[in-house]
Amino acid sequence: MEQKERNGGSMGHLVVERDQSGRLRVLFADEGACAMTGLPREALLAAEPEQAVQGLESVREVLDSSHELWILGVCGRRQAAELAQANAALEDALKAAEAANQAKSQFLSNMSHDIRTPMNAIVGMTAIGLSHIDEKARVQDCLSKIKTASAHLMSLVNNVLDMSRIDSGRMTLSEEPFSLADLVHDIAVIVRPQAAAKQQSLQLEIGEICEENLIGDPLRLRQILVNIIGNAVKYTQPGGVVKAHFSQRPAQAEGGAMWLDFSCEDNGIGMSPAFLERVFLPFERVQSTTISKIEGTGLGMAIVKRLVDSMGGRISVESEEGKGSRFLVELPIPVQPQGRREPALPVGETVLVAESLGGRAGQISAYLREGGLVPVHMAAGLDAVTWLTEAQYEDRMPCALLLGQELVDMQVLDVAAHVRQLAGKDFPILLVSEVDWAQIEYRATRAGVNAFVPCPLFRSRLWETLSKLTEGAGQAGGTEGQEADFSGSRVLLVEDNALNQEIAVELLEMTGVQVEVAGDGGQAVQMFEAAPEGYYDLVFMDIQMPVMDGYEATRRIRQMPRGDAGSVWIVAMTANAFVEDIRLSREAGMNEHVSKPVDLDRLLEILRGQLKPRPAKS
Amino acid sequence: MQPYQEEYLANLREITALSAWRGPEGLSFDGYAARLLENEARVEQLARRDMELLRGQFFPLLDNLFAADGAALADLEAFAARLLGRPEELDAGLFCQIRQALLSMARQNRDRADAIRELYWLGMGRHSRVSKLVGLELPLVEKFVTQMRLCFTEAAAYLKYYDEIEDAETRGYILRSRANIALGVFKSPGEKIRLVKQTLQILQDKGYQEKAPELPWDRYIYMTHQHMASSISYSKDTAMSAEDMANIMESVYTVNQRQIREAEERGERMPIRWVFPYRAIEYYCGMHSLEQLLAEIEKLMDAVDPGDFSVDGMYGMVSLLAFYCQYLQQYPEYLPERAGYLEGLYRRMLAYVDAFPRDQGEQKLFWHLRQLAYTFVEIDGGLPYGDFVEKLMLRFAPEAYVHAQMVGEAAKALCGLIMEDEPAYFDDIDFLRAVRDPEEKRQAVLDFAEGCGVFHDIGKIDVIELFSRTSRQWFEEEYEMARLHTSAGEVLLSQRPSTSRYAAAALGHHAWYDGAHGYPAAYRRLECPYRQMVDAVALVDWLENVSHSARLYTGEEMTFDEAVEAAIGLEGKRFSPLLTARLRDGRVADRIRRAFAEGRQRAYRRMYEDACGSIAG
Repeated sequence: MEQKERNGGSMGHLVVERDQSGRLRVLFADEGACAMTGLPREALLAAEPEQAVQGLESVREVLDSSHELWILGVCGRRQAAELAQANAALEDALKAAEAANQAKSQFLSNMSHDIRTPMNAIVGMTAIGLSHIDEKARVQDCLSKIKTASAHLMSLVNNVLDMSRIDSGRMTLSEEPFSLADLVHDIAVIVRPQAAAKQQSLQLEIGEICEENLIGDPLRLRQILVNIIGNAVKYTQPGGVVKAHFSQRPAQAEGGAMWLDFSCEDNGIGMSPAFLERVFLPFERVQSTTISKIEGTGLGMAIVKRLVDSMGGRISVESEEGKGSRFLVELPIPVQPQGRREPALPVGETVLVAESLGGRAGQISAYLREGGLVPVHMAAGLDAVTWLTEAQYEDRMPCALLLGQELVDMQVLDVAAHVRQLAGKDFPILLVSEVDWAQIEYRATRAGVNAFVPCPLFRSRLWETLSKLTEGAGQAGGTEGQEADFSGSRVLLVEDNALNQEIAVELLEMTGVQVEVAGDGGQAVQMFEAAPEGYYDLVFMDIQMPVMDGYEATRRIRQMPRGDAGSVWIVAMTANAFVEDIRLSREAGMNEHVSKPVDLDRLLEILRGQLKPRPAKS
Repeated sequence: MQPYQEEYLANLREITALSAWRGPEGLSFDGYAARLLENEARVEQLARRDMELLRGQFFPLLDNLFAADGAALADLEAFAARLLGRPEELDAGLFCQIRQALLSMARQNRDRADAIRELYWLGMGRHSRVSKLVGLELPLVEKFVTQMRLCFTEAAAYLKYYDEIEDAETRGYILRSRANIALGVFKSPGEKIRLVKQTLQILQDKGYQEKAPELPWDRYIYMTHQHMASSISYSKDTAMSAEDMANIMESVYTVNQRQIREAEERGERMPIRWVFPYRAIEYYCGMHSLEQLLAEIEKLMDAVDPGDFSVDGMYGMVSLLAFYCQYLQQYPEYLPERAGYLEGLYRRMLAYVDAFPRDQGEQKLFWHLRQLAYTFVEIDGGLPYGDFVEKLMLRFAPEAYVHAQMVGEAAKALCGLIMEDEPAYFDDIDFLRAVRDPEEKRQAVLDFAEGCGVFHDIGKIDVIELFSRTSRQWFEEEYEMARLHTSAGEVLLSQRPSTSRYAAAALGHHAWYDGAHGYPAAYRRLECPYRQMVDAVALVDWLENVSHSARLYTGEEMTFDEAVEAAIGLEGKRFSPLLTARLRDGRVADRIRRAFAEGRQRAYRRMYEDACGSIAG
């Protein structure tokens, strides 16, 4: 306030609004008002009006029940011309205020409807849940609906906040390194369930990608892309198709940057030419009789447009009512300066690709060829197993099997299970699929899959995973004889039979793991008790043993008052394969069940799953 | 063989005989019921003994398989051979366990010939189980079919090294595996036909034949033609290409010619089961209309002697009827004018089943009837589908029938008690809510409860071997297969108007109330309009299973009182709390216990009447 300039010859104007509680807020301020108060416009709009004009002469005119015009710097020698000019400015200000007011009223009307809808669900479902409090499943159903409605409500509020931040210039874009592959996978994780819920075919495709490590604001990028794909899903009928495509091209003018080209096409309800003109304005939503109950703030596309603009990009849309829409986004994104470190691949080795989706198989094969590998493609599980059997017999096994999403004749995991038996413990089997790994991880690892590469498929992901699984294969001329190195890990083997002990110890020690042997359950309990916490990483427990059986020994270990008693991984190792045996071992506290005769592959699978291998020696 | 292996086999045979006992052998009803209980107790005793044998001697052998001597391994081979021998398939599950273990050992020892042999036999073991899954669509059985097919595929891949393999036995396994890849259902008939065609080309290749002249090539080729010819039964005209049809036609012709020749030599008529493919392929090739094909089938069925209980008689009396129904299902416009005739065929088929000699290949007859269960066409005013499948259970799966009747009775009793307290309890179910009169509504609820109970396990007819002739607990793979009975039951019941209401109970009775566990995933409780009733059936089914019917197979074994306590402990998790709350009242538990006994008596009574021949159709 001390810095205020006093200029007797000029005037300033403020439009001030009084809300229901009587609190005043500046809605409009002209340059004169800024100059006279010494505050920039943003600060003045955010300031408390009385304080801002403190010490200044002002005349206040009531415009309506909640708005006043404050004329600052008015003195007795006002000239008519100035007054006329001021009046004209005032009229403009009033119009602007009215327009803003109208938009706000419209916004409040939209918002009150949109907020009420999920709130109704929350209130209603809470009441239903309370009235069925004894019915767990009913309550669960209510809670899940409440969760959905709350999430929707939260997105409404977030959109409003975003819009407000952008409009007030308070939003800044971060510049941080990020991976395009991570970004696209994050997007897939978010939008796939939405499309799946509507039984839509969501195709996320990758075109030419030159640089995956970029610099930008990944959160805002994600917001743009999720908004566009999410809208396509929202405005497309169940069973429809949504295709999103990502590619890059070098930006000529911008040194070290790439253009990210993104397109999203759907066969949904589309937009009329009239709406198409307003699609990026706030609070606009397509009205449709074919798709009901589409909810949202109408801010999503306006936010997307502003974000794209602020990133220096371009967005356009083509659409036809009843046929669908196509959004195109071009964004210049700087590339991370450090050189890319290519993963080491077993160059010249063969990889068997089993996938019936032609496009996917072609893409996998192209990436493999780029990495110097030789892809062999099969679309049928029967052909893949036949080829592998022949390859094994002729000692020309591929360095890995890449199982895709689909085969013409059978499920990929059934093939994986058989190949694991056929090809042995070390043979790498990768699953390249767009299914949610969390959903199938248990079944896939049990079937013998070593690693998962998510789709949309990025070359870097494929190469890195393949590189990890085939380390040394190129030099060794195959995967034969390659053993995982678990030195530093310690396993307690509980087994009463001397020959079985010998076989298991020999096998386990081949992997570098340190094996300690207990001859019965009682001894195992004593050894575990006497060892320091965390000493054993894994326990293989026979069931039928003298002195104390495996069930009892496990129960006693689990009951010990020490940190690792509950967490140490205990594997039942027995020929007793009845469902009851498996259940009993679980009930006793064991984590897994391995059938005898010991399947070496299965044993190693467990080691791989539970122990950390040492990094490969260079 | 080892003594324990002999004992195991002897016990299995006794169990099979006891399970097949239908009586009444002049016994009064009380004597008959007492005998059934005695048989049941004896089966349990034998099964427990078999479990002891497996735990005490068989599992330890597998435990130390790498150290086993040649004699022990030879005994194991011989034991396995008897488990899946012909004509009696005693224990395909144990057979597969043994073959899997031997295959692991062969792989470990890098013994190619052993691996090929074990792959072939493991494939055969799996085929034995898969072939019982009559009528189920591929998505339900795909895992089991694939497991079988991959065994044969791997063994057949060694065909490339046919020249290097010197022993004829291994070559034979490779060729038979190649042929067997085409066993089971496929995504399209074309795939199956293509594989059989390729096998025929290989078998007819002189190059292969000359290197192993001692192999029965004619038999291999002829059986492959038979396989191709029989694939017509599974194919739909819309799904086959002209090339597929030509391939089938060639095989059908080959089989037909040979059958005519052999029949002439025997002085008999041509077997119906080889006449039908010939007629069918003529239709598929466009030489006849469907009208003409149906007329041909009718002629063939009419010519069957109702006293012919041979394989051909069963085929003519039941399988042809199943195919006939399949066409009528596919082209319902042909049904109205044949409704009366079809009803007559149903009655004739039931009479045939009643007259079928009890000691003569009943399981084979049951297999044919299972085909009909999937294609049965219900006619207004005709034989209700429910009566037909109930008859199948009663006659061929008596253990499952008794359990179903007990659950039906108990579900009725529980629902009766609920209706006394809360007449609107089942009003979530539309057709029950629509009944205005309280007494009528009560009766409608009780009828629905009983129907749901009686039919909830109808899908067991597809996996009946696991429920009625297994003398031990299940292995994990078997448990997985046994779970199919829920989906199979739903498929059977949902497609016929008179039973469609009971389909939800068949599908959902092993699902958990909170959805956290149980099966199948296809049952979503909150979306099921009949869920209140499914909850009730699920509870009484579980009480009966753990306290009686399924305890042998799952190892979950309790007294009835313990089961009630355990059910209360699972309140809100596995079972609806609205139902378990009632179980806390001792009178409700007692009523259910009594209903189980009444259900058993009722089931025994009907079985007795059936055995006495007093129920005609």
